[in-house]
Amino acid sequence: MKQLELLDPKVQVCIKKRGFSVLSEAQKQAIPLIHDGNHVVLIAPTGTGKTESAMFPVFNALLSMPSRGGFKAIYITPLRSLNRDILARMQWWCRELGLTVGVRHGDTPMGERRKQALAPPDLLITTPETFQALFMGKRLRKHLTQVRFVIIDEIHELAGSKRGAQLVVALERLHVYAGEFQRIGLSATVGNPDEIARFLCGKRPFSVVQVPVAKQLDITVRFVGDDFQKQTEILSKILKREGSTLVFVNTRVTAEALGHALYEHGDVEVHHGSLSKEVRIDAEERFKKGEIRILICTSSMELGIDIGRVDHVIQFGSPREVSRLVQRVGRAGHQLNTISRGTILATGFDDLLESLVIVKKAKANEIERVVPQRCAADVLANQVAGIAVEYGEIEQSKIREILERTSVFADCGTLLDDVCRQMEEHLLIRLDGTRIITTARARRYLSGNLSMIHDERKVPIFDMVSRRTVGTLDESFVVGWVHTGVVFITKGQLWRVIEIADGKLTVEPAKKALGELPSWEGEQIPVPFSVAREVGEIRRRRNISAYTTERDSIRFAQMFLTEMDKNRSLVPSDHLITLENTDEGVVCNICAGHKTNEALGRVLSILISARYGTTVGLELDAYRMLLHLPSSIRSSDVRDFLLSLEPSHMPGILRLALKRTALFKWKLVQIAKKFGAIDPDADYEKISIQRLLEYFEGSVVQQETFRELLSEYMDIDTAAEVVNKIKRGDISVALGPFSMIGAGGLFSSRDLVPPPTADQAVLATLKRRLDQDDVFLACMNCRDWKIRTAVSRVPDHPQCPKCGARLIAALKPYEDELYLAMRKPRKTQADHAIEQRLLKNANIVLSSGKKAVIALSARGVGPENASRILATLTDGDAFYREIMKAERNFIQTHRYWS
Amino acid sequence: MKMEFFGDGPALVIEGEYRLLIVADLHFGIEADLAAHGLHFRSRSTDRLERLLKIIDMADPDMLVLLGDIKHSIPSITRQEYDELPVILDTLRSRIPLKVFPGNHDIGIEPYLRDAELQPKDGTILDGVGYLHGHMYPSPNLTGHLMVIGHHHPLLLLKDEVGCALQTPAYLRAGLDTDKLGMNTLVENTPPTRVLFMPAFNEIAGYDILQIVKNPFSPLSRFMKTEDAEIILADGTYIGSLSSLQSDETA
Repeated sequence: MKQLELLDPKVQVCIKKRGFSVLSEAQKQAIPLIHDGNHVVLIAPTGTGKTESAMFPVFNALLSMPSRGGFKAIYITPLRSLNRDILARMQWWCRELGLTVGVRHGDTPMGERRKQALAPPDLLITTPETFQALFMGKRLRKHLTQVRFVIIDEIHELAGSKRGAQLVVALERLHVYAGEFQRIGLSATVGNPDEIARFLCGKRPFSVVQVPVAKQLDITVRFVGDDFQKQTEILSKILKREGSTLVFVNTRVTAEALGHALYEHGDVEVHHGSLSKEVRIDAEERFKKGEIRILICTSSMELGIDIGRVDHVIQFGSPREVSRLVQRVGRAGHQLNTISRGTILATGFDDLLESLVIVKKAKANEIERVVPQRCAADVLANQVAGIAVEYGEIEQSKIREILERTSVFADCGTLLDDVCRQMEEHLLIRLDGTRIITTARARRYLSGNLSMIHDERKVPIFDMVSRRTVGTLDESFVVGWVHTGVVFITKGQLWRVIEIADGKLTVEPAKKALGELPSWEGEQIPVPFSVAREVGEIRRRRNISAYTTERDSIRFAQMFLTEMDKNRSLVPSDHLITLENTDEGVVCNICAGHKTNEALGRVLSILISARYGTTVGLELDAYRMLLHLPSSIRSSDVRDFLLSLEPSHMPGILRLALKRTALFKWKLVQIAKKFGAIDPDADYEKISIQRLLEYFEGSVVQQETFRELLSEYMDIDTAAEVVNKIKRGDISVALGPFSMIGAGGLFSSRDLVPPPTADQAVLATLKRRLDQDDVFLACMNCRDWKIRTAVSRVPDHPQCPKCGARLIAALKPYEDELYLAMRKPRKTQADHAIEQRLLKNANIVLSSGKKAVIALSARGVGPENASRILATLTDGDAFYREIMKAERNFIQTHRYWS
Repeated sequence: MKMEFFGDGPALVIEGEYRLLIVADLHFGIEADLAAHGLHFRSRSTDRLERLLKIIDMADPDMLVLLGDIKHSIPSITRQEYDELPVILDTLRSRIPLKVFPGNHDIGIEPYLRDAELQPKDGTILDGVGYLHGHMYPSPNLTGHLMVIGHHHPLLLLKDEVGCALQTPAYLRAGLDTDKLGMNTLVENTPPTRVLFMPAFNEIAGYDILQIVKNPFSPLSRFMKTEDAEIILADGTYIGSLSSLQSDETA
């Protein structure tokens, strides 16, 4: 406890009073460093006294500062619920020490805010977003000059996001008023602590205190099979043996289903983001008091909200990421130096292998890196607007100074200029040479855009037929992609849009789908590349017993692989990619993780769609992708595409592939909103928003959309590396029959990759029309047979059933009278002319068959035009293009218009 | 009579005795209205005018026919329009004679036009073809002619095999119920009276054709004969009959 001797006796007294008899490792290391005024990032599992480590020396310093004059320390957490939790803890300390503390976030009442503006507390607890708002008020700005400490809690949660990028710019804005202040970051275990520290401090020197987590974890993996009933039975048995337990699940749907299944336990509650704040707080409180023993939760419970003692953590299904597992299991044993116990219930082959790999990596402390978002243009736009409002008028060079001090916006080239020009385009700021001037709109924009979280209006989907609301869609998705007539999928059903009006989407059930359509059933947690690779390695080496001693798991995995062998299926692995034909298309089994497969899948899809002129549907997960293809394209074709990929061309191809997809337009609208182009309450009904979005072609808004998608949603560099491995022979590609592995897994994200040009849709429309058109077939030999039928039903070489001749004229339905003239015993001059025409027509059909019939049913195409089209000897799309040309010529003539 | 389609407009050349270049619904000044609806973009007037000038150069017509809604703001002229409109019109008339058929958005445009340019709102015949903006009942003088109109901003939704859709400007040609329109049809052997709905030149204006048919918002759209209506893309590609599209929709 000698570290405490550094501190003021008053603080020491409080520490004793609060019952701290021993210091944790984290505290021992961090307290002296913080006391000495260093910028510190403290990385330790939850429950190791992180907050206290940071706050003891801060309290100590606050005691020696004069009271009044502004905020002295600002404590920032990512969540309001965490704020409340921290406030409850800090109130005791501050009361004892004679300091003032306040909380300020979205829920803070007006009266409390005013009080803070008049008499600012020494310690302010807030969120990143409300921190932004402090710069907007004159009086609040004055209170910022005294800030000596900023503590950022759960910084790992912010560092990889746009919220985080926004926050660190705000820290440098604070620097303008307060000068250097001390920065303290509190983080869960991450793979790259130094990068997190640089994220917090920029170029300033820093110290990292890291308490290893691995030795404190005791995690087992149990295989429970894929039957939900059996799963819950096993879970129920485990729960009976354990004390207070958190059950983590990956989706809200699973949370609800489990809550329902375990209802009879009587001491179970469900906790997830879709529940109201009151319900969640109530569940937390009751768990803390021991009234309920089991809490089923999603990532909502990962962060350090104090819920009292947790004896055991159960992870239902693979945790997908090492960091997530460590965080979740770290909630158990919420006492110093105790071991955290956790159990993963694995539900299938992929799930089991993945869980085992993740546990191994957790024990080896191989946690994922958190990668900060560099040069995010929409964050910059948001901050330029904030700064413009803050200063009224400011030189661009001043803003540049602020940005250069951060790690995420230093060295972003001309980004600031590009962003300012774009903002001027949307009338959010004015530019006068190098000066940036605020506008009346900017303040209004800021109050609607304090946050970089896309907290979006949800558009209700109203079913006309059943007269009820069937769900909601993200507004930006609706705006960017959905329009009248479009079919989309939600809640597993197909809907056609009838109308977008009055802020709701009116739909009717679609009777037939033209194909699989985009859907996002909540954002998925991606499985990292390294995890997927190692799963592939286990499949190849079949060394599952090196990972676990649990008999059920080993037996199941071995049985599964034996079954694959028996079926003569190839087992795809880290060294082998297999391609399999299915009824729906081609499955590519690639162990590369979500983001890499997403990039690779889209590149393949666009190449296929461009070559064959068809849209390709894409579904994928970490181990496989399913390409929805016309039945004529087989696995060998896909292999040829895969083998011919040129890694250096892939980024360019991917950009092209993204542009016309729903995902891209959705993101584009979200980012445009952050540039002030589109108000949160904009009314899109009167114009074609699709075409409005074309204004962003080549702009920094479009550039940011690409940057975000290519860094957050897909990993093109790793995809290119996989292709390199194929080229070098490190990974081989083989064709195989449809296998258990190929059929396995739930496909998470889906999208359509349309061909690069709009031309295909026009051709498709033309083909559909010609197919549906009626044609009048008439025998010119016996002159005694005629039939009216759809072009699509005409055989390749039409033949007269009466006389067997193939001299058949193909006439437009309204031309049937011409045929009557043929049977007249006496023909006039005009009749003879018609006869010549029909014979010419029939001769074309005789020599070219159905192709001639198709050409002849086109608008304004007679025998002359038809022979000209057929003489080009074109096939497929090129043939239809010739027809299109002929029709276009006809439309220009007097004959069509008079 | 010969037609030439300019997909980059959309614009149309109708050649009879003269070459007339037809352009509908420019909506200069639409940006102010967008802003009022929460969409903030700088004025694209210059880009739009440049596009029009390029088409004039390509088409090399004798005269430019503007089918109304030159400007956007109603009921009064905005500052943006006050500044931009005279320049736009002068630029155009320095190249080529103008004929303007005022539309419902053109309130207050008269002072900016010369007498010879201003045409009747309910339309007139130029070189054998009837022209009007299309928001009101057409003059009976147009009976037996093709009428080219703006006002409706038709867009067509095209789908490929898998259902990926895109919207693109398109023409709609249809016959008319002249009785209901109160047009004089007593004369025997009157040639058919037809209407051609022109897509808007303004790049962001547009209504789905099927919506125009379902919820008509003008006399001409209300009294067109939908059964023989046909659709042509802005570049002159023949798409087919309206009824075949409608059957697609319900399939």
